[in-house]
Amino acid sequence: MTKSSRLLPAFGLLVLAAILLAFPFAASGYQIYIINLVLVWVVMSLGLNILMGETGLFGMAHVAFYGIGIYTTGLLTNNTGVPVLLAIFMAGCLAALIGFILGVLSIRMNDIYLGLSTFAFGEAMQWVFHNWDAVTKGVNGLRISPTTFFGWRIDSDFRAYFVALGIAVAFTVGAVVLSRSRFGRAMRAVRESEPAAAAVGINIRRVKVSAFAISAFYAGCAGGLITIFTSYIHPDTLGFNTTIVILTMLVVGGMGTIPGAIIGAAAIGVLSEFLRQAADRQEMIYGFVLVLFMVFLPDGIYGRIRHAWRRWSAS
Amino acid sequence: MDLSTALIFLQQGIISGIVIGSVYALIAISAVIIFKATDIPNFAQGEFMTVGAFLSLVLLIPTFAGLPYYLVIPITAVVCFLLGVTVNGLVMQPITKAKGTLVAMVIATLGISFIIKGAARYSGLANSPRTFPALFSTDAIFIGDSVLTGQDIAILVFAVTAMLVFFAFFNLTRHGRAMRAVAMNPRAAALVGINLARVRMTIWGTSALLTGLAAILIGPKLLLTPDMGIIAIVAFAAAIIGGFHNLPGAIIGGFIIGILENLIGAFVATNAIRLTPFVVIMLVLLIRPQGLLGGKAQVKKV
Repeated sequence: MTKSSRLLPAFGLLVLAAILLAFPFAASGYQIYIINLVLVWVVMSLGLNILMGETGLFGMAHVAFYGIGIYTTGLLTNNTGVPVLLAIFMAGCLAALIGFILGVLSIRMNDIYLGLSTFAFGEAMQWVFHNWDAVTKGVNGLRISPTTFFGWRIDSDFRAYFVALGIAVAFTVGAVVLSRSRFGRAMRAVRESEPAAAAVGINIRRVKVSAFAISAFYAGCAGGLITIFTSYIHPDTLGFNTTIVILTMLVVGGMGTIPGAIIGAAAIGVLSEFLRQAADRQEMIYGFVLVLFMVFLPDGIYGRIRHAWRRWSAS
Repeated sequence: MDLSTALIFLQQGIISGIVIGSVYALIAISAVIIFKATDIPNFAQGEFMTVGAFLSLVLLIPTFAGLPYYLVIPITAVVCFLLGVTVNGLVMQPITKAKGTLVAMVIATLGISFIIKGAARYSGLANSPRTFPALFSTDAIFIGDSVLTGQDIAILVFAVTAMLVFFAFFNLTRHGRAMRAVAMNPRAAALVGINLARVRMTIWGTSALLTGLAAILIGPKLLLTPDMGIIAIVAFAAAIIGGFHNLPGAIIGGFIIGILENLIGAFVATNAIRLTPFVVIMLVLLIRPQGLLGGKAQVKKV
């Protein structure tokens, strides 16, 4: 890469950073809240991308780990003095552990059966959220009290924004590092052809189980993150529908790519807020978005951009 | 619970389980024939049932069309068939032609299920509780210590007939064998002159038709909500038990799950009924991924 071609992306990143940091000062509370939500979605999408996009595993239980993260963090901050970042990390670890177990159990399954059994696991998890009253307060929902961040009380969307932004950026960097590492290449190798990957010495089992654990960690931390600016969680929002929303984000943005996950999270996150007014049409529109993208834009928005960029730079 | 009560529960559980199991079996067959021909698990299968149920409701009840049953059944059948054909033609075929991946097609079926669910919710037809008029008598018939209605027997008869018809169709007729050929190896099937597009169209249409008709039969028993398609998950569990490629397996799986659900509801807790299909799916896929009746475990093609 020449010096000038490295300068452009670096400059672009600086501009982006400036915008992101200045944004909350110029925006209304509601807009900040939307972006906070989008940041949570970003972490979730990145997580699902690691499992489905990079490793090619049809994991339909993503929202279950999100739920585990929310309840764990909420209970920790409600009932103990654990600092919020540590609580999020612990929630992520618990989710990762359960993800690890699910991965181990699913090692023999492929494609469709994997999707069905992870879907079943997700539904079973939602049943647990609904019925384990002692922990989750079941259908009454769980109230979450505001947290403090190193002594700085987070009681507004404005304050939550910086924490959310920091966490989202950290997870994005993590995803990029993972993708570019040897392990990332191993994941993609498993996605493309298991026998070939095994033939070059990749430990398929380890890759698959790790993918489950890592993506569960992401989802769990996303759940922990949202407790910072949400005061109430109800198990109805932790069902398959939400997993489909995350899947839609990946599909729309571009499955298998990190910019795609971010674009998709932003696009669908904003769309879902607009749709909140037309709540009765929400499902239909999500359905149409999924179908239209699968027929016309299977590589998502970022896929199409990348395609066009390649053709432009080749000419 | 003493032994005599337990025995009564057991009997009723098994009998009711067989009835509901045959409905699960019908939906399972519909999903399996699509899977056999296209390798796609159709996540919109339950929504085909929703369409059948809502459509026939609208046609039946006097506030809307008030048509008699002998008209409603053929109309629903035709519309459901066309629905299946449309789904295939507008969505599945274009994706196939664009060299779409299997994942893309599965996600597309998910999208379709959401469209139908959303449309059902939007139509507002389920906003007030409606009774679905039963086709056969709902008077109780006693078999031993358990109760059945005429409607239940009709469901059973229809299900068994449909299964026999499909079994004969797939194994004895040329068209059926053509469909199996497409399922096994589309390219080879095309090479011997089988019209892939037409076979796929027929499969989708037939699957939707079968599910739609099942909806008419089960309508009086079910709560008509936009989410009623969730029943397809149970059907998937049934198909998995039998090994997803296996028609007779799907049938047996349907009965097993139907009976299991009823027994768990009677002996454990009504809360746990919802959990049963999911636990079954996970357990079977864990222990014996090819299903109880499937052959060897599927070798993944490289």
